[in-house]
Amino acid sequence: MELVTGGAFQGKLDYAVKKYALLESEICECTEDADPDFSAVCLTHYERYVMRCLREGTAPKTSFGGTYCCVDGVCGYTGGEGGHGPLVIIMDDIFCGVVPADPELRAWRELCGRTLTALAQNAEEVTRVFCGIPKKIK
Amino acid sequence: MTVFISGGCKNGKSTIAEDCCLALAKGGPLYYIATMQAYDDEDRLRIKRHQKSREGKNFITLEQPTDLLECLKSSDPENGTYILDSVTALLINEMYSPDRPDADPQAGERTAKALEDFAKSVKNAVFVSDFIYSGAEKYNEYTVQYQKALALCDRTLARCCDAVAEISGGIPTMYKGELPL
Repeated sequence: MELVTGGAFQGKLDYAVKKYALLESEICECTEDADPDFSAVCLTHYERYVMRCLREGTAPKTSFGGTYCCVDGVCGYTGGEGGHGPLVIIMDDIFCGVVPADPELRAWRELCGRTLTALAQNAEEVTRVFCGIPKKIK
Repeated sequence: MTVFISGGCKNGKSTIAEDCCLALAKGGPLYYIATMQAYDDEDRLRIKRHQKSREGKNFITLEQPTDLLECLKSSDPENGTYILDSVTALLINEMYSPDRPDADPQAGERTAKALEDFAKSVKNAVFVSDFIYSGAEKYNEYTVQYQKALALCDRTLARCCDAVAEISGGIPTMYKGELPL
């Protein structure tokens, strides 16, 4: 799995779409209202799913059965007992700003930081996108 | 050569940008594009502090709060080295004005285009922006509109500049090329 992070509007999804030739149907945009489709090739706005977990009192998912792999732009998954996991997870680094006054936002900010760290440990590759330019940090 | 610098506030972006300009100028004219419009005493104090930090560095000040390309007419783009500090202030002036109640929805694209044209027209330029994209606060739609417009300007400059650096604690992290230091 490749984890992609960075600030809002920096071109994280553009980077993933281009690198893996993602189709719109392969991208699942997470929301605060429902669990995402974990069988999607790409999960974006993972921080919104973290907010859902915070409200539900559940732990955000940070490891997945099996892994996708991509050779010459052609994607497939290696399988594994628990099905397959997403190829790319994209998450905004919302934890870099000022500590918010709102208690829920404060808790969300911290849970996002911990979730990103756990995802990064389980990721084969971690990329940070800055002003449209990707930098491999793992 | 063109350089794009961004990062958090008060992390040494301006100092590094000015040093890049001094290294690039090699005897040619040095221009400081002053973008800030003073609305109150806090602004005036800020401007004074920036002017003081430029003292003795021989910058020629070009007052250009909007319409960036206009300052090319009153300067020497073929030989000049320009510092634009900051893209953030330029965009604010393009987007909002005291005589319009809402934000100009075209400001982002217009400013990004002007920045790209400017970068292609001058010998050397260093652009300074602010990294305002990583907070947990849920901003109102006007703030998000501004963030999106600035991100477009930043990404345009990062694409067309020779060097791209993020400054943190006065230390540059390179995303493209090398700084001329």
